[in-house]
Amino acid sequence: MNYKKVNYNSVLAHFLIIIFTFISLFPIVWMFIIALKSPGESISGFSSIWISNPTFRNFVNIFDKIPIWSSMFNSFFTTLMGLITTLFFCSLAGYGFAKYKFPGRDFLFYFVIATLLIPPEVGAIPLFIIMRKLNLINSLWSVIIPKAATAIGIFYMRQYIIDVPEEILESARIDGASEFGIYYKLILPIIKPALATWALLVVIARWNSFFWPLIFLRKTAKHTLMVSISLLPVSEGLSTPWTVIMAGTTFAIVPVIVVFLLLQKYQKAGMTTGSVKG
Amino acid sequence: MRSNRIKFVVLICSVFLIVSVFSSFGVIKASENEYPEDVVKDYPEGTVEIYGYGQPQYLLEYYNDWLERNRDIAPNVSIEITQTEGAADTREKITMNSVAGDYESLPDLFYSDPVNLLALAEGDLVQKVTNFVRPLEDKMVDGALNQATIDGTVYGMPASVRPQLIFYNKSILDKYNIDPARMDTMQGYIDVGRELKEKSDGEVYLSYIDPGHYTWRYYGRRGLMPQAEAKIWDDEGNPVIGTDPGAKLAFNTLDTMYSEGLLYKTEIFKPGLYDATNAGKIATFYIGAFWDEFLRKNCQETAGDWRVRPAPVFEDINLRGAPVTNYWAIANKPNGEYDGLVKKLWYDFNFDKEPREVWVKSMVEQNAPYANPISLEMLKDEFWKKPSPFYGGQSFRKMEGEGLVNGAPNLRITPQSAEADVIISAQLERYVAGDQTIDEAIEAMQKNLEDKIGQAESF
Amino acid sequence: MKLINIIRRNKHPYIFILPFFILFLVFKLYPLLWTIRISFTEWNGMNEPISVGFQNYKDLFNDYMFWDAVYNTIIYWLVGGFFIIAIAMLLSLLLNYKKLKGLKFFKVVTFLPNISAAIAMGLIFGMLFDQNLGIINELLEIFGINRINWLTSTKFSKIPVLTLYIWRFVPWFALVILSGLLKIPIEYYEAAKIDGANKIQQFIKITLPNISRILFFCFIIVTVNSWKMFNESYILKGPGTSNISLFQYLYQSAFTTFKMGYASAIGVVLIIILAIASAIQFIIRKRNAEI
Repeated sequence: MNYKKVNYNSVLAHFLIIIFTFISLFPIVWMFIIALKSPGESISGFSSIWISNPTFRNFVNIFDKIPIWSSMFNSFFTTLMGLITTLFFCSLAGYGFAKYKFPGRDFLFYFVIATLLIPPEVGAIPLFIIMRKLNLINSLWSVIIPKAATAIGIFYMRQYIIDVPEEILESARIDGASEFGIYYKLILPIIKPALATWALLVVIARWNSFFWPLIFLRKTAKHTLMVSISLLPVSEGLSTPWTVIMAGTTFAIVPVIVVFLLLQKYQKAGMTTGSVKG
Repeated sequence: MRSNRIKFVVLICSVFLIVSVFSSFGVIKASENEYPEDVVKDYPEGTVEIYGYGQPQYLLEYYNDWLERNRDIAPNVSIEITQTEGAADTREKITMNSVAGDYESLPDLFYSDPVNLLALAEGDLVQKVTNFVRPLEDKMVDGALNQATIDGTVYGMPASVRPQLIFYNKSILDKYNIDPARMDTMQGYIDVGRELKEKSDGEVYLSYIDPGHYTWRYYGRRGLMPQAEAKIWDDEGNPVIGTDPGAKLAFNTLDTMYSEGLLYKTEIFKPGLYDATNAGKIATFYIGAFWDEFLRKNCQETAGDWRVRPAPVFEDINLRGAPVTNYWAIANKPNGEYDGLVKKLWYDFNFDKEPREVWVKSMVEQNAPYANPISLEMLKDEFWKKPSPFYGGQSFRKMEGEGLVNGAPNLRITPQSAEADVIISAQLERYVAGDQTIDEAIEAMQKNLEDKIGQAESF
Repeated sequence: MKLINIIRRNKHPYIFILPFFILFLVFKLYPLLWTIRISFTEWNGMNEPISVGFQNYKDLFNDYMFWDAVYNTIIYWLVGGFFIIAIAMLLSLLLNYKKLKGLKFFKVVTFLPNISAAIAMGLIFGMLFDQNLGIINELLEIFGINRINWLTSTKFSKIPVLTLYIWRFVPWFALVILSGLLKIPIEYYEAAKIDGANKIQQFIKITLPNISRILFFCFIIVTVNSWKMFNESYILKGPGTSNISLFQYLYQSAFTTFKMGYASAIGVVLIIILAIASAIQFIIRKRNAEI
C-alpha cells in the first residue's frame, strides 16, 4: 500500500512563509487600495479597506503634480550608473582585500569598516562646498560619484569572496592569466549570486534615496522620483490628498519590482560546483 | 477765418479722441499703476529663479501670464520655481549657497515666513526693500510689514496676511440649538464645547488637539498666546513664560478644553481628522485661514455646513487672533539682474486687480489654494465678497478680511525662536500625552528655556 | 623594505582598493574634519562661527533631549537589531527551503517592505497604530484588551517605530543571509542526514558556521543602521522626545533650529558611540573566529 507521508517540516515551512507573506503584503496592498480611492473616501480604520468608488484618477493626478518623466529619468540614470560603479569598484576592492596578502591589508580593511561609522549626513554643509568646488551641484553625478565605492559594499564583497577556494586562482595564475583577468573572467562569474544580491540592494537604496538628492539637486528638472513624491505631502500651504500621494508611492515601487524579477535568476545556488574538479 | 477755426476744433477733437482711445487701451498708462521705483526698464535674457514651497505650479500660472503681459520690458525672460520643503528648507539652501560662496545659484526671489526671513536678514542674505515697500504701507492691510522689519528696515514684501479664525459646522450647532454668536468670547467658546459634549453624549467634540508640534504652533504661538498678550521673553530676553500671566491664561484655556474632554485627540493633516470631521464628530476649528484649503479638499462631504467667524476674544483683553504674514524676499545677490523685475511682479500681483481675479477664478476651478489680497483697494471689490457654496453662501473671503480686525500683535521673534519652539512644544506634547499637568509643563518650559537658551537676543 | 618596492610588488591589490580611499579622502575625511572643527564653535550657518571650546559637549551632557535620544536609539539598536536578525534568519531559511513551492513569488513579496517608500509606510503604520481607528487597537478590543495609545503616549511610542524598522529591514538582512546560505554546498547537508543529524543539529553544525562571516557582517551593519536611523522615528514621531532617535536629534539641531555647532558635537559623539559599539563586536569576534 502507498502511504503519503506527511512532511511536517514542509507544512510548517509553508505555513510560516504564508504568515511572512501576509505581514509583508498587507501594508503594501493597503497603500495600493488607498491609491485607488476617490478623494473624500475614508482612509482610516477598518472601513478604509473597502473602496466604494474605485478610480485611477489619483494616478493621473500624480502626473500633474510632479514632473514625472524627468523624475523617472533622473532616478533611472542615478540608479543605473550608481549600480554599475558600485558593483565594479566594491567587488574589485573586496576581491583585493579577500584574496591578496599585502602589507597593511588588515589595517586598511578595518579602516574601511571604521569609515562606516561616520554618517555623512553630519557633514552636509562641507559636502555641499566640495560639490560646488567640483561643479557638481545640480548634476546627477553628485549623487553617483561619492558612492562609487562604499565601505559597506566592500565589506560585503570581501566577506563573500574570502571563501572562494585558493586553488582556482592559483591554477589560473599558472595558466598565465593577468590579475585583472582573473578578477574579470574567474571571480566575477563565481560571485554572481553576491553581485545579484548586492545589485538588488543597491538599486533599492539608490532608487529610494532622497536626502542627498534633495541637497545637491536643487532644480526641479533634476529631482529624482522619490524627491518629487516626498515634496508633495502635507505641510502648511499644501494639501495633496493622501490618495494621490499613495498613488505616487505605488507607482514608485513598480520599477524596482521589475528589477527584482530580472535579477532573480542570477541568485542561484552552488557557487563553486563544477569549478574544482579533478 | 471760419475754416481755420473749424480745422482747429476738429484737430482738438481728434486729438482728444485719439488720446481717449489710446488711453483706454493702456498705451498711455493711467496713474493708478504708478510704480514707486524705477522697475520698468529693460531686463536681459535669462531665467528668474524662485524658491517656493506649497504648490508652486499654481503661482507659475500667474507668473507666466504676467510675463506675457510684460514682454516689452522682459522679452526673453522666463521664470522657474524650485520647490523646497518649507521656509526652513529654503533658508538652509540659501545658507548653504552662501557658505559655499555660490552666489550665482542664489534664487532671485524666495518665499519665507517671519522667523526664517529675519534670521536670513540678520545674516545679511536678504535685500533691503524699505524704500520700495514703505511708501505702499497705507495701501496694504494693517501690520503687513511688521514681521519683516528689523529696526525700521524692511526685508520682505508681504504676500499674504491671514487671520486666525473659527471654522464651525453650522448644522451641528443648529442640531443642538447653539447660537454661534456665543463663540465670540473664549469663555463662550468653552461653554459651547461643554454643551456640545453634554447634549451629544460625548459624541461631538468642540475641536481637535494634535499630539505633536502643531498644537503649540496653531493653538499656542498663533492663537491663544498672542490673544492673551502672553510673553515668552521679557524685554531683556530672559524667559518669563513660567510666570507671565498671559501665558498662564493661554495655557489654562487650552487645559480647560482638553482636560474636560472637549478636544478630539488626533493628528492634524492626517486622514483620522478628516474622517472624524466628515462624520460630524468635530464641530469647530480654531485655526488660521489657511485651513480653508484643507477643509475644502478633504471634507467635501460636509460642504455647505461650514461657516467662519473671527477668533473668540478673551473678554478683558479683547484682541482677535494674530495674523500670519508670509513674505516674498529678494536674496542678496551681488549681480542680481532681476531685482527690479521681481519687485514689479510682486507689485502687480498684489495691486493689479484684473489679472489677480482671473488667476483666482482659475484657482477656484482647480480647487487650488489662494489667499486674500493684501491690497485694501482690491479688498473693497465685490469679487472679494463673493459667497462661497462650501460655506453655505457665506463669503469666506469677506470673513477672512473681517477676521483681521482688531488682531493681536504677534509674539516677538528672536534668533532663538526656532529652538524655543522645539523646547516649548516638547513639554506641551508631554502634557497632551498625559505625562504631566499643564502647570508642570509650564514650569518645565521655563526651566528648559533657561538652561538651553539662557537669554534670547534681539534681531 | 622601501615603500616604492612594496607598492610595486603589490600594485594590483593597492590599485584595486585605491578608488575607495580617494573617495574617502575627498568626500568623507574633509567633511569629518570640518564637522569636528565646527563642533567646537557656535554657528547658525550664516555669520562667522564663534569658538566656544567644549561648551557644546558640556551642554550635551546636561541636555535631557540628548539623553532621551541616546536611550531611545539604544533600544532601537538592541531590541530592533535582535529581532531583525532573528526574523531575517528565519525568513532566509524558509526561502532557502528546497521543497518550497512558489519560491519566486515569495521572494518578491517578502521583499516588498524594503522597497516601498518610507513616507508611504509611515502613513500606513501610523494608521495601523492609530489610537482611535487603528486596526491594531480594533484587534486588541476583539480580544478584550484595552486600546493602547501607541503614538500619542510617551510609554508606547517606540513600539510603532520598532515595528516599522523591523518590518522594513528584515527583508534586507534576509537577502544578505540568503546569499550566504546559497553558498553552502548541498552535499554537506546530505552527508549530515546520512549521519543521522536532524534539522536543528544541521542548522547549528553546518549552517551557522558557514554563514558566520556574513552574520558578523549583519551584526555590524545592523548596529550602524540603528544608530543612523532617521526615517522611521521621524515619520512616526511621538510626543516630546519619547521616540526621537539620536540621528534625528542631530538633524533637528542642524536643520530645524540651525545650531550647527551643537549638531556637529552630536555627530562626533555619535561616531564615538558607534566606534565603541563596533569595536566591542570586533573584539568578541576576533576571540572566537576569523573576521
